[in-house]
Amino acid sequence: MSPAGELAAGVAGRTYPPVTFVIEPERVSSFARAIGADPSAGVPPTFAAVYSLGTTAAQLFSDPEAAIDFAKLLHAEQEFSWDRHPKVGETVTSRGGVTADVSRRGIRMVTFETETTDGSGAAVCHSRALFVIRS
Amino acid sequence: MPFASPFCDSLMTSREVTFARDQIAAYAKASGDLNPIHLDDAFARSVGLPGVIAHGMLQMGILAVVAAEAGGGPDRLRRLSCRFAGMVQPGDTVTFSAEASAPARLDLRAVNQRGDAVLTKAVAEVEA
Repeated sequence: MSPAGELAAGVAGRTYPPVTFVIEPERVSSFARAIGADPSAGVPPTFAAVYSLGTTAAQLFSDPEAAIDFAKLLHAEQEFSWDRHPKVGETVTSRGGVTADVSRRGIRMVTFETETTDGSGAAVCHSRALFVIRS
Repeated sequence: MPFASPFCDSLMTSREVTFARDQIAAYAKASGDLNPIHLDDAFARSVGLPGVIAHGMLQMGILAVVAAEAGGGPDRLRRLSCRFAGMVQPGDTVTFSAEASAPARLDLRAVNQRGDAVLTKAVAEVEA
């Protein structure tokens, strides 16, 4: 706890190493079926929850210094923006980091952002998640 | 199939979904989000929930399918955002809808059988 108390900076500014992910066809079709999308229509846009958010949020959740209590965690907001949608079979790389971490009256709000790029380094997707951790 | 046939007219695209445990479990497996609040009633109750709840990202995924239908296809989706405002439990029926509000913008809604919005501030931008 910082001297600022209620407005402690937490782990804002922390970034995690890049994670590479192969977009496998079986995973894409099971994801598409689960959300009611056409499994033959390519990578569903919100598969970004897997290749972008999922790969990097796992690093945050397993970081002991970030101290995210998984049992008290709620996903409060999500935004994705896409430069393009990746293709089935493509390999993408994601870099995640905490851009805000604010605690107020027992509620901690962590903003976690991820940049996903393709094999040539070109932008694919930006993810911004707001996680709320109840005390 | 848990999905009713989508219907479309010139103004709105929508889809009504009654959530089931097996759909939530299928999403957990496919997405890799295996948090037991989505799979295990006893665990969910132990952390103050009424029982298992659907992933917010499952709701957003269905919303994106509807937005893509309204916006001319999934590849045209450029931005999607929402707030997870309410819990969805197995047996709940949610109507997801998308309506063009400007040339490249869709206003999105997800409302349960009680008339409560489960997703709020839901907006998509599509390729012009």
